[in-house]
Amino acid sequence: MYALVDANSFYCSAEQVFRPEWRGRPIVVLSNNDGCIVAANRQAKALGIGKFGPFFEVKDLCQKLGVIALSSNYELYGSLSNSMMEVIGRFAPEQHIYSIDESFLSFKQSYPAIPCLLTHAAHIRRAVWKETRLPVCVGIGETLTLAKVANHAAKKLNGYNGVCYINSAQQRHNILASMQVTDVWGIGSRIGKKLRQMGIHNALALSKLQPGLVRKSFSIEIERTVRELNGEQCKGWDSARADKQQIFSTRSVGERITDKESLLQALSKHAAIAAAKARKQGSAASSLLIFAKNSPYDEQPNGFKYHYRCASPTNDSCELIGHATRIGSQLFNPNTRYYKIGIGLLDLSPVQHLQGDLFTPPKDPALMQVCDNLNQRYGTDSMFVAAQGISGKWHMRRDLLTPQYTTCWQDIPQVSCR
Amino acid sequence: MNVIPILASAGITGFESPAAEYRQLPLSLDELLIEHPSATFIGQASGDSMEKIGIFDKDILIVDRHVSVENHDVIVANYNGSFVCKLIDTKRRLLLSANDSHNSVLIQEHDNFSVEGVVIRSIRCHRQSPILAGD
Repeated sequence: MYALVDANSFYCSAEQVFRPEWRGRPIVVLSNNDGCIVAANRQAKALGIGKFGPFFEVKDLCQKLGVIALSSNYELYGSLSNSMMEVIGRFAPEQHIYSIDESFLSFKQSYPAIPCLLTHAAHIRRAVWKETRLPVCVGIGETLTLAKVANHAAKKLNGYNGVCYINSAQQRHNILASMQVTDVWGIGSRIGKKLRQMGIHNALALSKLQPGLVRKSFSIEIERTVRELNGEQCKGWDSARADKQQIFSTRSVGERITDKESLLQALSKHAAIAAAKARKQGSAASSLLIFAKNSPYDEQPNGFKYHYRCASPTNDSCELIGHATRIGSQLFNPNTRYYKIGIGLLDLSPVQHLQGDLFTPPKDPALMQVCDNLNQRYGTDSMFVAAQGISGKWHMRRDLLTPQYTTCWQDIPQVSCR
Repeated sequence: MNVIPILASAGITGFESPAAEYRQLPLSLDELLIEHPSATFIGQASGDSMEKIGIFDKDILIVDRHVSVENHDVIVANYNGSFVCKLIDTKRRLLLSANDSHNSVLIQEHDNFSVEGVVIRSIRCHRQSPILAGD
C-alpha cells in the first residue's frame, strides 16, 4: 500500500501561511523575473486566471478582479516544504519525497498495524494543516500509480473531502471512469493525443488495454502504467528518478543586457550553476551549448546560439566558464538587448567511467569539491568564480516578493499585541 | 559580505587534550526553546497589551502549532485576518489582554477566528540584537 500526499496549489498556499488576510482569496505566483504565472489557486482559476500565461497579458485583469499576484518566494517555499515533509514522514516507516510539494509513503511493512487506512489518511491531512497551515490531499492505493489516481480523486471529485483510499474494484472502476487519460501519472499530452486517436478517452479504457499491445504501440513505461492501474506493482520509487541526460541553466534577466561585461558575467553564472548540478549527479559534459537572445516579443528576434565541443569531458566550473566567456565575447553584438541567457551541458557521461586524454593533464577535482562543500554549508555563492561578477543588473526581478518569514530574522512575522 | 570562520591549525602534535574524551555537543538553544521544530514558527510581538505577563514590544515569540490549546494559554490567533497575541479563555470564548488599559474581546460567530499556535516561550533582548536591528 502506498500513499501520495500533496499540497493544494502549494506556492499559493505557502503565501497564505503568514498572511491570514489572504486566506480564501485568489492568488497567483509568477515565474522567475515575474514573466509567467506558474501557480494559481482554486479561487484564481474560478475567476478565469489560469496557469502558464504571460503575466503582462492579464496584469490589469488581476488588479481589477482583486487577484493577488506575487513573485516566487523560493526561500519560503523551501522552508515550508521541509516542515511539511517532516510532518508527513511521521506517518509511515518509509517516505519518498517526490517533489517540493509531493511525497509518497509506503505502508508495506506496517499496514496491518494500522486499523483503518482511510482514518490514517485523514489524520495525515489534519496534522499537516494543524502544524504547518498547508492544505494537503491524501490518496492511498495498491501501487504508486493508483496512489496518484486516489490523490486525484481526493482533490477533484466530489464527496472525498481531500482523502481517498481505493479499496475495492468497484471504486477503482468508478474513479478511473471519471478521469481523463492525461490525468494518469506518466501520460503526457503527446501520448494522450495518440490514445485519443485510438478511441481511448478515459483512464478506465486505458486500464483495459492489453499490456503487450501497449508495449508495442508505446513503450515499456506505458505498459507498466497500465499494469499499475490494475493493481500490479511495477514501479518502485528507487527507479523513479534517473540521472539527467542534459543539464540547463537558463533564465530571463531583470533588466536587458546591452554591454559585453554583463553578458559574460551572466553566462559565467549559468555555467557555474550548471557545472555544480553536473557535479552533484556525478556527470561530466562533452559539449556545451551557449546562448543569448532578446525577447520573442521584441520587433526583431536576435541572438546567438553556439555548440562547443570540449576536448575532454569536464564538470569544472573554471574550465566551463572559460569556454563560455571566450565564445560569448566573440558572439556579442552591441545592438542586441539580451533578455534570455543560458548554458546547456550536453553529452553527459558518468565521472567514474571517464576516459583520460594523452594531451590533457588529469583534472584535480579537489578545488570544485571544496567549492561545493563551502556553498552547501554557508549558502549559495559563498564562494564563486570572480568572472560571475559581484552583483549584476541581470539578477532576477522579483518586484512582488513577500518577506522570507522563516529564513530571515528581519522578516519574521509581526504579531499584534494591541 | 559573508565572512566564513575557519579554524586554523599549525599542525603541531603534542599531548592529546586530556578533555578530548569528555567532549559533548555544545548546549543548543534550539533544543531548549523549540520542542516541535516542524510545527514551530518565530514571530515578533508588537504592542504593549501583554506586558503584565512579561511580553513586551519587540519580544521574540516562539509559537508551537503542535501542542493543544488549554484554557488561559498565551496564543497567537488569526483574528479577522491579522495575527494577534492574547490569553485565551476557552470557556467564555474571550481573548484577554495582560494590561489593564486593554479590554477583553468576545469571539463572535461572524468573526474570522482560528488559533495559529501556542506561545510556548518569549525572548527578551535586553540589549539590541544586531541581527534583528538589521546591521
